[in-house]
Amino acid sequence: MSISLSRLTKRYGPNTVVDDVNVEIPEGSLTAILGPSGSGKSTLLKLIAGLEVPDEGRVIIEGDDVTDVDPRYRDIGFCFQHYAPFRHMNVAKNIGFGLRVRKQTKDVINVKVRELLELVKLDDKADAYPAQLSGGERQRMALARALAIEPRVLLLDEPFGALDAIVRTELRHFVKELHQKIKVTTVLVTHDQDEAMEVADQLLIMHSGKIEQSGQPTDLYERPATEFVHSFLGPTTLFKGVAVRPHDLELVSPSLASTEGTVTSIMELGFEIHVTVTLSDGSAPWVQMSRNEFRALDIAVGSAVSMRERVPQ
Amino acid sequence: MKHTSRKWSLRVIVIGYLALLVGLPVGYLFIKAFSHGVGAFWSEVTKPNALAALKLSAEVALIAVPVNTVIGIGAALLLAKRKFFGSRALTLAFDIPVAVSPIIIGVALILAYSRIGWFGAWLSRNGITILFSPVGIVMATMAVSLPYVLRSVLPVMIEVGKEQEQAARTLGAGAFRTFWQITLPAIRWGVLYGVTLTIARTLGEFGAVLVVSGDITGKTQTLPIYIFAVWDQSYDTIGAFAGALVLASISIVALIILSSLRARERKLHVDLA
Repeated sequence: MSISLSRLTKRYGPNTVVDDVNVEIPEGSLTAILGPSGSGKSTLLKLIAGLEVPDEGRVIIEGDDVTDVDPRYRDIGFCFQHYAPFRHMNVAKNIGFGLRVRKQTKDVINVKVRELLELVKLDDKADAYPAQLSGGERQRMALARALAIEPRVLLLDEPFGALDAIVRTELRHFVKELHQKIKVTTVLVTHDQDEAMEVADQLLIMHSGKIEQSGQPTDLYERPATEFVHSFLGPTTLFKGVAVRPHDLELVSPSLASTEGTVTSIMELGFEIHVTVTLSDGSAPWVQMSRNEFRALDIAVGSAVSMRERVPQ
Repeated sequence: MKHTSRKWSLRVIVIGYLALLVGLPVGYLFIKAFSHGVGAFWSEVTKPNALAALKLSAEVALIAVPVNTVIGIGAALLLAKRKFFGSRALTLAFDIPVAVSPIIIGVALILAYSRIGWFGAWLSRNGITILFSPVGIVMATMAVSLPYVLRSVLPVMIEVGKEQEQAARTLGAGAFRTFWQITLPAIRWGVLYGVTLTIARTLGEFGAVLVVSGDITGKTQTLPIYIFAVWDQSYDTIGAFAGALVLASISIVALIILSSLRARERKLHVDLA
């Protein structure tokens, strides 16, 4: 295991933000710690980095107990949510900082910085200052700076949080590709389940300081262990008093099923359509369907329909 | 139209106010100092007592400014990181010397360090004189210029945050390197601004210094005290105007250098983010 956390606990005054966490993160994995804000996920990341000191428990990186080791000597790459660029240094100087600390020769540093600039596609920005970069470019610079020291683990705190939607998607792909290229054990923190599902090969779901469930994204999505994981890992809607995935429901003509209702709203989101139906008992579950399915149904607000659970094929 | 006229009347008020309080007196000072020609100005400025006062002021500044800069940055580092028991009291203590009249600082120093004070009595038994000597002048000056660096640096430090320092730490940098290569460059404008204000106050302090210096011509007269002495005792207006002009010029030049440096830096886009 690359990172093992055992009985890790962190308190701020009366609040326990990280509560008896036991986690094993496999070598070379790309793990996402996913949870709502205030769940303790960022604190957990900082405990791994050593930027926060635990009240109890141990942090083990590649077999070494680093609990009492200063972050300086942990060989970790850390990317901050707002990238923490050194504003008075240009991009090349930012990336080379860790190498200068490690007293590498000028030639070695220059070669390494060139390689990293190419890796993060900032070749033409070596002399630019952080203030002259876009959000995405700053993020890539921060990644290169963290990777320069060849860290044992790469830790990313809400890496895409401060970016607009298009750059976000781009950068997700970029991080995934980068990870496939360099294979360094990577842990990222996010509150966005789509992001976590897309990027990560391992998920840790965190809630109120505790790990609710961990495992591969599809396993967690299909077999959530708790009500929280179920509702957090994708949309849910209440059908006959039970939380179900909206894409596990379907609409049919009133004669085919007994649960009848009236279409009360239709939301078109490009490829997918959300249809809300108010049932006779007053509940209003919504159904997620493709545009083609929607067309075939030929419904509008006010149409009478029946709802049932999809039969797995 | 209404908007423009309001803008113009605001401008006239501000400019008029500045002219009355700053432009007119300083301009008049300039004219008066040279009213008997450049030669007369020069001979006033190079009088032995004037030079002695200038030298003492420079020496006091050379000690007080660096010491207060180091103390101010140190206190800002301490206060920016986190709140602790007594942190508010500490901030307040830094502000007291500029919140009260300088005369009070002077009188308080006399109380503490003259022979009537218990500490002063102990010092005098051990042959150490603080009052009516350059040591006392330096102390009074440091007291009245105490908070400027802290007050200029602290908000910048809080705004910059601790993430850059943490990033440097994860990259392997120790406390010393982090301070010199990350923290100090990040707060440099706050430091320079604070230092400029400290220089101005250090050179200009009159009240507190007058009380503790004993006003000994040629020995414990700083430039402001010399100016007041020639004005008050010998009605030597040219001498006073000439000295005042030298004093004002130093501070104004310091401010101009600071603002032009800042403008150049802005042009390089380095400081914006």
